[in-house]
Amino acid sequence: MEKIAVPSSALPNPLREGLAEERIPEPATMVIFGASGDLARRKLLPALYSLTRDRLLPARFAVLGFGRHAQDDDAFREEMRRGCEEFARRRPVDAPLWAAFARNLFYQQGAYDDPAAFQRLKTRLEEIERTLGLPGNRVFYLSTPPSAFAPVIRSLGQAELAPQPAPGKPFARVIIEKPFGVDLETARALNRQVHEILDERQIYRIDHYLGKETVQNLLVFRFANGIFEPLWNNHFVDHVQITGSETVGVEGRGGYFEQAGSLRDMVQNHLLQVLSLAAMEPPVAFEADEVRDEKLKVLKALRHIPESDFDRHVVRAQYAAGSIAGRAVPGYRAEPGVNPASTTETFVALKLFIDSWRWAGVPFYLRSGKRLPKRVTEIAIHFKEAPHLLFGRRGETIRPNVLSIRIQPDEGIALNFGSKLPGPAMEIAPVSMEFRYGSSFGVEPPEAYERLLLDCLLGDGTLFTRGDEVEASWSWVSRIHRRWAAEAAAGKTTLPAYAAGSWGPEEAERMLAADGRAWRLP
Amino acid sequence: MSDQTQNLGDAARANFERFARGEPIAVDVGEIERELGSLWQQASSAGGSQTGAALARAALWNLVLPTRGREELAKTKALVDAIAPAVPVRAITLCLDDAAGQSELSATIESNVVSRPGGGRVVYSEEITLVGPAGAEAHFGAMVRALQVPGVRTATLWMNTAMPAALLTRELLPVTHQLIVDTASCTGPLHLQDLQRLASRAHPLPVADLGWLRLASFRLLFAGMFDPPVGGGPLRSATRLEVKHRKGGDVSALLIVAWLGQLLGWRPLRSAETPAGGLRFDFERVDGGSVEAFLVPGAGPCDQSAILSIELASGPDEYVVSRDAIDEARVQLPIAPARTVKLDAYSDADICVAALGPRGHDPLFARCLEYAGRLWSLEPRNADRR
Repeated sequence: MEKIAVPSSALPNPLREGLAEERIPEPATMVIFGASGDLARRKLLPALYSLTRDRLLPARFAVLGFGRHAQDDDAFREEMRRGCEEFARRRPVDAPLWAAFARNLFYQQGAYDDPAAFQRLKTRLEEIERTLGLPGNRVFYLSTPPSAFAPVIRSLGQAELAPQPAPGKPFARVIIEKPFGVDLETARALNRQVHEILDERQIYRIDHYLGKETVQNLLVFRFANGIFEPLWNNHFVDHVQITGSETVGVEGRGGYFEQAGSLRDMVQNHLLQVLSLAAMEPPVAFEADEVRDEKLKVLKALRHIPESDFDRHVVRAQYAAGSIAGRAVPGYRAEPGVNPASTTETFVALKLFIDSWRWAGVPFYLRSGKRLPKRVTEIAIHFKEAPHLLFGRRGETIRPNVLSIRIQPDEGIALNFGSKLPGPAMEIAPVSMEFRYGSSFGVEPPEAYERLLLDCLLGDGTLFTRGDEVEASWSWVSRIHRRWAAEAAAGKTTLPAYAAGSWGPEEAERMLAADGRAWRLP
Repeated sequence: MSDQTQNLGDAARANFERFARGEPIAVDVGEIERELGSLWQQASSAGGSQTGAALARAALWNLVLPTRGREELAKTKALVDAIAPAVPVRAITLCLDDAAGQSELSATIESNVVSRPGGGRVVYSEEITLVGPAGAEAHFGAMVRALQVPGVRTATLWMNTAMPAALLTRELLPVTHQLIVDTASCTGPLHLQDLQRLASRAHPLPVADLGWLRLASFRLLFAGMFDPPVGGGPLRSATRLEVKHRKGGDVSALLIVAWLGQLLGWRPLRSAETPAGGLRFDFERVDGGSVEAFLVPGAGPCDQSAILSIELASGPDEYVVSRDAIDEARVQLPIAPARTVKLDAYSDADICVAALGPRGHDPLFARCLEYAGRLWSLEPRNADRR
C-alpha cells in the first residue's frame, strides 16, 4: 500500500504534554487600524509586549499598524516603545526583548475607505509574511472611530483580506472596539454591513470588562463551587446592586461624551454584560456559544421599563463642580468640548427586573457615573434577612448578608455576615470574609486587553460579545433613549445635578429608599 | 496591682509587640496553640482599634519543613518569609540540631504579616519552629499531627536528603497531601534514584519537584519550537540531542533528556562517558532509527535550573534554545530568524508557591523521574553501585 506523507506541521507536538496550560496561538500578524491613536499606544501594544514578555505569543508574530497619520516604521516603533514604557504591565521595558519585538513592528499609512490603500496593505502584509515565514493568519483590530468600522470592513472585503473560515486555511479575524452602534437601529445596520463580509465566527466585539479576572472568576465562583449557586435565586436574594463608578470626568473627550452619555458609554455594554454574567443560567459547557447563549437569554428577559412608572426606574443626572481627591474640579458643562447647556447624563441609576423563573421579583439596581468619589466596579448580591430574627428582639440591627464581587480595582470577593461579639451579652457585629487576588495568589492579574487579544488569537470568543447580544442590549437601552428624546422634545427634560465627589443625586438615593433599601457604599 | 502581676503584664505586652513585628517568641512545646491563640487575640484587639475591623488568621496550607542544622534552619525560615506574601501558610518547621545543647524539643512561634501598599495589614499567617537534638524526630510526627490546621491541606517540603527517611515515610507522609522535593539538591544522579524511590513510596500522593518546575521555562521554550507550522515531525526523526549544563547540574540535564526520551518514546540502549567529562546515551527511536544524546558540562550565565542550552538535530535542521544571560535565551529554528526571549528568573519561594498550586500536580514528572532512573542505571560509572 502506498504511504501517504503527512506534513510535519500536521503532526502533534508531544512536548506540549504537561505544558498545556500555556495556550500559545498560531503564528500570525495583527493589523491595527487606528495605530496612531491613543488605544494602540496605551493598551494594545503594551498588552502585546507583556504577552511577549510572558512568552504567550507565538515565536513568529508581527504587528502592522495602519493609520491616516504619516510616519515610517521606526517612528511607529519609537512611539510604541514610549507607550510600553509608560503603560505596560511588565515594566521596565527590557531592551534586548524590545529590540526583538520591535523588529516585527511595521507601519503603513492609508485612509480607511481608500481601496488603493488596502491593496498596498495587502502587498505589505504578504511581504511581511513571506519575510518572517508567517502562515497568513491575520487579526484585524479596529481601533478607529466607530464611523470607520463599516468602511474598513468593506475595504477588507474588497481587498480579499478577510476570507471566511475554511478548514486548513489561515484564519482572518476582526476585533471591533466599542461602541457597536449608538442605538438598536445603528447596531443592526452595522451587524448587517459586517455580516456581508464576515462570518459571525470571525467577529470579536471587544468589551474590555469581560477580560478582567474577576469577571471570569464570577463564572468559576458560581459554577465551580457547590455552595453558592443554590442561593443564587429569588428565594434567597433580596436584590442586586451593580456599580460602575469613575472619578474622572470627560478627560478631553467632551465631544465624544456629549454624543454618548453614561447610558451608552457604560451601561449598554459594560454593566449589562456584567449583569448578564451574574444572572445567567449555567451554560452546558464553557464554550463561546454556550456561554453567550445564556447571556443572551438574560438580556432578552430584561423587562422593559413601564412608561407610567419611568421616573421610579430611571434616574439620570449631571455632575456639577465639586472636589475629587482634594482637588476642585469643574462641572460637566464647564468641561472643554461640552455644550454649556448640555443635557447629556454623566450619571445614571436604573432599577430593572429580569423576567425569568430564577429572578422573578428581584430588583437589580445599576448605577454608573463620572466624578464619583472613587473608581470602583462591583456586583453586590444582597441576601434576604433570616426568616426569623432570633437575635433582633432587643432592637439590635442585624444587617443582611452581602456578597460583593469587586471587578476593579483590587479585584476580589467579600462576604459580610453577622458574628457574635465576645462576651456575656448577645451582641452581633458584621464581619467580612475577604478573598483578594493580590494577597491570596501573590500575583498581579493580567491586563484585560492581554487576555482578550490572546483569546482572539486562539479563536476563543467566549469573552467577546456576539451580534445578537449587542442587539438585545441596545433593544432595552434604546427605549430609555427614546423616552428621553420624547421628554426633550416636549421640553420636559429632568436632569438633576450632583456635586463632583458625591455618590450621585438625591433622586438616586430616593429610588432605593422607596423600596426600603439603600445604595451600598462600595 | 502586685509587682508579679505587673511583670506578667509587661512580659505579655512585650511578647505581643515582638509577635506583631514577626519576631520569634519562645513558648512551651505543649502550649503552642494556646499561646498563638492569645497573641492573635491581642493582635485582633490592637488591629481592630486601629482599623475598626477584626483580624483573620489565614492558612491555605499547612507547610511542614524538615531541616537539619541551624544554617539550614535559617535558610528555611527565610524561605517561609518569602512564601508567606504569596500564599498564607501555617509553617511548621522541624529542625534536627545535632549541636543542640538541650535534650528536649524547644518551640518558637512568630507571625507573618503582609502589608498592603499604604501600610494596611491584610494577610496574617503563622510560623511554628520546633528544634530538637538528633533522635528528636521521634516526636516530630505527633507534633505535626497536633499542630495541623484542620480542614487545610498539608504539604511537606523534603529538601534535605540527609534527613532520616523514616521521619518522612512513617510520620509525615500519612498526614501529607502534597510532597515537594528538590532534585537540584541531589549531589549526583544516585540521589535522584533515592528521590525516585521516595516518590514511589509516596504514591498516590502528588509529588512536586522544585528542580522540575525550574526547568519549565526552558521546556516551554523548547516545546514551543514544535508547535505548528513546524509540528512534531522533526522530533520523530531526531538524530542528536545535546544538553549543555553547568558543572554539577547533571541531574537537571538528565531530567531534560528523560523528558524528551519519555515523550518521544526513545528506548535507552547504552551510555558512556565522553572525553570532555560528560555523558553520552544511545537510544532507539520508535521507528527504529537511532538517537545519540550528550550531557555536556560547561560554564556560562545560568540560574538554579543549571541548563545552558538544548540543541536537537533532525536531519540537516537544528533546533536550539540557548541561554544568553540568566534571564534571556535565544531561540533558533530553521524556518525563522533567531529571536531573543525573556526567561523568568524565579526565586525558590516563587517555585515553592508554584508547587503548591496546580503545577505541583504534574504526572509527567513521575514518569520522567522513573525514566531518568533508568538512564542512570545505564551509566557506566554506576556499575559497581547498582
